[in-house]
Amino acid sequence: MTIFEEISEKLQKGKAKDVAALVADALREGQAPEAILNQGLVAGMNLVGEKFRNNEIYVPEVLVAARAMNAGLTALRPSLESAGVKPVGKAVICTVEGDMHDIGKNLVRMMIEGQGIECIDLGVSVPPARVVEAVKDSGAKLVCLSALLTTTMMGQKAVIDALKEAGLRDQVKVMVGGAPVTQAFADEIGADCYTLDAASAAKAARAFFPD
Amino acid sequence: MNSSIESMTASERFAAYLAGRPVDRAPAIEWAPWWHLTVERWLKDGLPPEAAGGEALQEYFGLDKCLQTSVTCRTKETPSPASYGTGILEDEAGYEKIRPTLFPDPKTLLSEGRLDFLKRTHERGDTLHFFTVEGFFWYPRELFGIEKHFYSFYDEPELYHRICDEYADWLVLLFEAVFSRFSFDFMSFAEDMSYNSGPMISRELFDEFLAPYYRRVIPVIHSYGVPVFVDSDGDITKAVDWYAGVGVDGMFPLERQAGVDVSVYLDKQPSLAYLGHFDKMCMKFGEEAMRAEFERLLPSLQRGKVIPSVDHQTPPDVSLEQYKIYVRLLKEYTGKITHRDGALGPCPVFRKR
Repeated sequence: MTIFEEISEKLQKGKAKDVAALVADALREGQAPEAILNQGLVAGMNLVGEKFRNNEIYVPEVLVAARAMNAGLTALRPSLESAGVKPVGKAVICTVEGDMHDIGKNLVRMMIEGQGIECIDLGVSVPPARVVEAVKDSGAKLVCLSALLTTTMMGQKAVIDALKEAGLRDQVKVMVGGAPVTQAFADEIGADCYTLDAASAAKAARAFFPD
Repeated sequence: MNSSIESMTASERFAAYLAGRPVDRAPAIEWAPWWHLTVERWLKDGLPPEAAGGEALQEYFGLDKCLQTSVTCRTKETPSPASYGTGILEDEAGYEKIRPTLFPDPKTLLSEGRLDFLKRTHERGDTLHFFTVEGFFWYPRELFGIEKHFYSFYDEPELYHRICDEYADWLVLLFEAVFSRFSFDFMSFAEDMSYNSGPMISRELFDEFLAPYYRRVIPVIHSYGVPVFVDSDGDITKAVDWYAGVGVDGMFPLERQAGVDVSVYLDKQPSLAYLGHFDKMCMKFGEEAMRAEFERLLPSLQRGKVIPSVDHQTPPDVSLEQYKIYVRLLKEYTGKITHRDGALGPCPVFRKR
C-alpha cells in the first residue's frame, strides 16, 4: 500500500490524527504536496462521497472523514502554500435568510472542501446582501444556497435576484439544495444547479472549476 | 368496549381500525399541532380568534380530536442551548454537570388536573390521546447538539451508551407511573432520524446505540397494551425495518416530499400501522389536486392500518378555505373505509386491546 492509499484509507475511517501524521510522513519522504493533496486527501474524500451517495456510509461517517480531511489539510497547508498550490476555486456557501438549519450546509461545505475548493461559509440565516458582499469581496465564482423549510426556500430566489441587481449574476454559478428543494424549483428560480445530496453537490461544484 | 359500530368512541374506532376489525369509518385526525404561521394566515382569512388553539381548532374543523401529552426528562433547571442546534454538553464531565437536573420523579409529571382532563375527554368519546417522549436518537441529540451528536457515535460511544442507559431506566419508571393511571390510545417516540435521502445513521449504529434501549422499554409499554409509534420525518424506507425489528407498531408522518410510498411499507412491514402521508404540498392547488392525492392513498387505506393525515404540518400557503376542502375530503375518504368486508392482520399489540 502506498502512503497515498494509507492516507485515503485512514481518512475514510475518520482517523484524523493518523491522517495528519501520515501527511507529515509523506512530506518527510519528499512527496510533492500537490500529490499528497490529490492522490491522498482528495482521493479519499471522493471515495467517501461515492459511498455516501450509494448509502454505504451515512452522515456521521462523512463528518468524521471530513474532519480527518481537515486535519490532513492543516498539516499540509504550509507546504502547499510554499509550493504555490492554490485551491481549484472559491465558493460562498450559506443557509438562506430565516433558516437556522446548518447540518446540510456544513455537509456540503465539507464535501466541497474535499474537492480542493475553498469555501467561505457565511453561516445560517444569511441575508441576500451579505452573500452579494461576500461574492464581491472574495471573487468567488460559485454560490451554494441551502434551505430546509418550505417557508425559507424562496430565500434562494432572493439571493439570485440580489446577485442580478448587483450585476454579479453572470459572474457566478448558483447551486441550491435542501429538503424541500427540487429540480423544478431550481429551474423556476433560475439556479444553475440542483443536487439531491451533499456528495452530488461536491461533484457538481468541482465541475464548475475545470482544470 | 362499545358493542355498536355506529356509536364507536374515538378510542374504540382507533383500536378497532388498526386491529383490522370493522369500524364505522377510519379516524379523521391531525396528529400534529398546526404551524403558527399557518394559523396566523387563517386568522387573516377569517378564522375566529377563539378557534385559534390546538383543541379549539380541531373542534372548529370538525375533526376527531387527537391530543398529545409530551414529557421530557429535562427540568427547568437543565441548561438551555445557547442557540438552535447547539448542545448543552461536550463530554462526560459535561454530562456529570447537568445530570442532577435530569430525571424528575415520574409520578410528578402528570398533575391530577391533567389526569382529570385526560380521563374526562376520553370518556366523552371524541378524543384520542397520545403520549410522547424523546427517542434514543432525539434525546442525545438534544444534549450534544445536532452536529456534535453525529460525532458522538465515534468520539463518545461510552457516554452515548450511558446517556441512553440512564434514560431507558427512567423511561421504564415513567411508563409504569403514567400508563398505570391512564390508558393512552398510543404513544410516540420523537426521533427525526431520517432526512430526504434516508436515515442519517447506519444500520450498524442503530443496532449498537439505539436498538438495545428500544428493546428494553417497548415491552414495558406493550405490557400496558399501548401501541408504540415512531415519529421520524424524511425517507424512512430503510428505518421502518429497523424500528419494526425492535418492536415498534407504527410510524408517522411518512412525508411524500422525501419520496416515501406507504404501499411499499404495507408490502414489507404489513403488521405496522402508518399515520400521515397526505402530501401537504398539493393542498394549495385546491380540490382537484387534493382529491387526486386521496385517490392515490385510497388503495393503501383499503389495505388497512393506514390513517391519512397531513404528512406533517399544513404550510402557510394553504388558505382557510382550502383547508376546509381538505377536511371535507378527509371525511369523505375516511368514510369509505370500514373494514367490514374482511378481517385484516392486526398489529400484534392491538390484539390485546
